[in-house]
Amino acid sequence: MGGLAHPVFGLDHVVAMVAVGLWGAFLGAPAIVVLPIVFPLVMAAGGVLGILGVPLPGVEIGIAVSAVVLGLMVVFAVRPPLWIAAVLVGIFAIFHGHAHGAELPPGADALAYSAGFVFATGLLHLAGIAIGLLTRWPAGQLIVRTAGGLIACVGVVFLARVG
Amino acid sequence: MRLVLAIALVLIASPAYAHPPPIGIGGFWGGLLHPYFVTAHVAAIVALGLLVGLQGWGRVTPIAFILALMAGLGLIWLAVVPRYVNEGLLVLAAVYGLLVVLARPLPEPVGIALGVLAGIAVGLDSPPEVLTVREANQMLIGTGLGASLFLVLVIEGASKLTKPWQRIGARIAGSWIAAAAILVLALSFSR
Repeated sequence: MGGLAHPVFGLDHVVAMVAVGLWGAFLGAPAIVVLPIVFPLVMAAGGVLGILGVPLPGVEIGIAVSAVVLGLMVVFAVRPPLWIAAVLVGIFAIFHGHAHGAELPPGADALAYSAGFVFATGLLHLAGIAIGLLTRWPAGQLIVRTAGGLIACVGVVFLARVG
Repeated sequence: MRLVLAIALVLIASPAYAHPPPIGIGGFWGGLLHPYFVTAHVAAIVALGLLVGLQGWGRVTPIAFILALMAGLGLIWLAVVPRYVNEGLLVLAAVYGLLVVLARPLPEPVGIALGVLAGIAVGLDSPPEVLTVREANQMLIGTGLGASLFLVLVIEGASKLTKPWQRIGARIAGSWIAAAAILVLALSFSR
């Protein structure tokens, strides 16, 4: 349960995860599938770096920037090619994964913990996708882009704190 | 529903540092529940079941898994306890998860080979930590039945995922399993 709760209680993680789902839904197929798959896999690679103690400069800044950039992508309805979106999300996933990996408890319940926070991360993506599906309606477009703006604002606040 | 149940089992599973009878139950029933409470077993079996169900490989792969499982449990019965089997199961879970994500059609012999590897690894990673030979034998039989039933249930569930959004959900679940397994592997090798 510790792993499940871990991403949920870090607002910087939460908004970035929701933004991934939100942007995926905004971009539509196949990004709606590719982004939530790319993120946990690359996050695991970042987690491995964190576990192995490989230093990654500016982890907290990277996490805050992820919220700013992904939020702005939604606000301005940026629609890059799929591979650019996947690479961008993958780069940010490394920072999130590194932070998670560095905090992974060295106990024997590591798999349950890892499964918990990967599962929670996925649920946050799904929450973002659910909100992002509102774009089918004209009023929903405004709601989704406003949500993107709020996410970017939260990212700016975290960036000011760590910067 | 079974997929959700399986993921929930991963999350509520007890520590995998050893193989005591789960939730304080020993004997046959303890063995039966064992694969559902050891997180590496759950991850490998769920990922293999998703892969087999989505690939539509039929019955040969689960039969290969069950036969290999019996072989693995037989080796345990002969007091063969190899090292790093738990890590091997995590590698398999990561590979199966990635294959689920890729969703590329694979020939059935690949599935049979993967089933054999998983079966023997689950069997070898199930040494009963009980005091009497009689109870150990009961646990081994229970583990064989429990793991076989678990795989068949996941395959049955996965084979019913025919709608596009259901198959997308399965691929996302595969990515979660692979990610979690990779992280724990890194953790175990960093110690």
